[in-house]
Amino acid sequence: MRCSRSIEALLTALAVIALAGCTLQPPKPWEKGDLARASMRFDADPLETKLTQHIYQSKEGAGGGGTVGGGGCGCN
Amino acid sequence: MAATSGATFAATRTESPKASSERSAALILAALALPGILPAAALAQSAPDERVIALRYYDYRDWQPGVDRMSVKSPSLYAFVPLSDSLTVEGSLVYDSVSGASPLYHDAVSGASGRGIGDYRSAADAKVTKYFGGSSLAVGAAYSHEQDYISRAASVEWRTWSDDRNRTYAIGFGAAKDRINAVEGVNAPVLDQPRETYDYLLGITQVLDAASVVESSVTWSDGRGYFSDPYKLHDARPNHRRIFAWLTHYNRYFAAPGATLQLGYRYLDDSFGDRSHMLEASWVQALPYGLTLTPTIRYLTQAAAHFYRDPPFPQGFVPGGLYTADERLSAFGAVTLGLRVAKELPHRLTIDVAFNAYRQRGDWRLGGDGSPGLAKLSARWIEFGLAKRF
Repeated sequence: MRCSRSIEALLTALAVIALAGCTLQPPKPWEKGDLARASMRFDADPLETKLTQHIYQSKEGAGGGGTVGGGGCGCN
Repeated sequence: MAATSGATFAATRTESPKASSERSAALILAALALPGILPAAALAQSAPDERVIALRYYDYRDWQPGVDRMSVKSPSLYAFVPLSDSLTVEGSLVYDSVSGASPLYHDAVSGASGRGIGDYRSAADAKVTKYFGGSSLAVGAAYSHEQDYISRAASVEWRTWSDDRNRTYAIGFGAAKDRINAVEGVNAPVLDQPRETYDYLLGITQVLDAASVVESSVTWSDGRGYFSDPYKLHDARPNHRRIFAWLTHYNRYFAAPGATLQLGYRYLDDSFGDRSHMLEASWVQALPYGLTLTPTIRYLTQAAAHFYRDPPFPQGFVPGGLYTADERLSAFGAVTLGLRVAKELPHRLTIDVAFNAYRQRGDWRLGGDGSPGLAKLSARWIEFGLAKRF
């Protein structure tokens, strides 16, 4: 892996995040009813997320992202 | 530990139709900014006070034309318990029962691939989260055991959020120490080989407006040790692997249909060379009678590892050099189609069932230049879930 490619991706990620920060319209507390819905959560079911990621990790070259310390597996 | 894993656990993907009373209650709670009400990822900012127990069962099978490969049955258990108004603990147990065979090289399926037959995996993890005034600290541990593989991992994650609770930052660190003992490997017995991996995470979650939220994280993984596959002939991989992943999720709620659009994108750069892009989209549609219907589509396109060699086996193999014929490290595209149905029951019980179909093809790679000569891989998995909140 070329280091420059990772740096390029990191800068792109930061640019997108910064852009989102510039264009947002943060709601007031009384406007957050829809945000509280279960379907708006990113990890509503940690067990389902973990098991599904495990399947993809065993079928594809590399998996994961967004997590740390999950441990490895044989997955042969 | 998930970057955005919330202390709150939505025991279900079900959303009942927007009964006016439910919406009013949510709005009132939101207005008061009570702990636990805000979206977990945006804001697991104060300890939730709801206990959860969830059971989940996976039935997985994969195959190639005319040949059955792996079959896995996997029951699991999850629990989340608030210990006080500022301390929570959660954990899960998983048991995988594996039968069948994995490819010996490329897609040449053989029972001689060793531990692929009659293997099992048991795994457990736990996480304790302490909430402070404007931040939280989570400490986690995980253990996984197979006949030929043991993994021990630990993690720590610190999160802090803005005063208006619309933005959350996350910093995480994880370490895993694995041990490989493949007595029946086809290359040679692989005894007591170590692998150490260190993970670093930076994440941000931002509420964009009253109906949309985005999270983005970058992770860097640095692993050293034994990465070869002892059950694949001539397999020899580098002993140092670095993986960079940028993962972004975006959720938007649409009031008129009463549905949520969930989008995900991941860019992954692996020092092995198997760089990939993944796109995923789900539509969570609330229906009458407490039902929720969620169709999902996922697409992945992947480059081949720089030491992967196309068939015929063992073309390109040089004794002493790096080599793999593992089709997971080939260039391909993969599509998953899924459908989940969930229903809310009395007594805060939720059940769900899901069906997922997965296909891998060399010519589905973006640009169409996937690895040639491999049999098509298909898989399907069925999920059953039951959750109780109290």
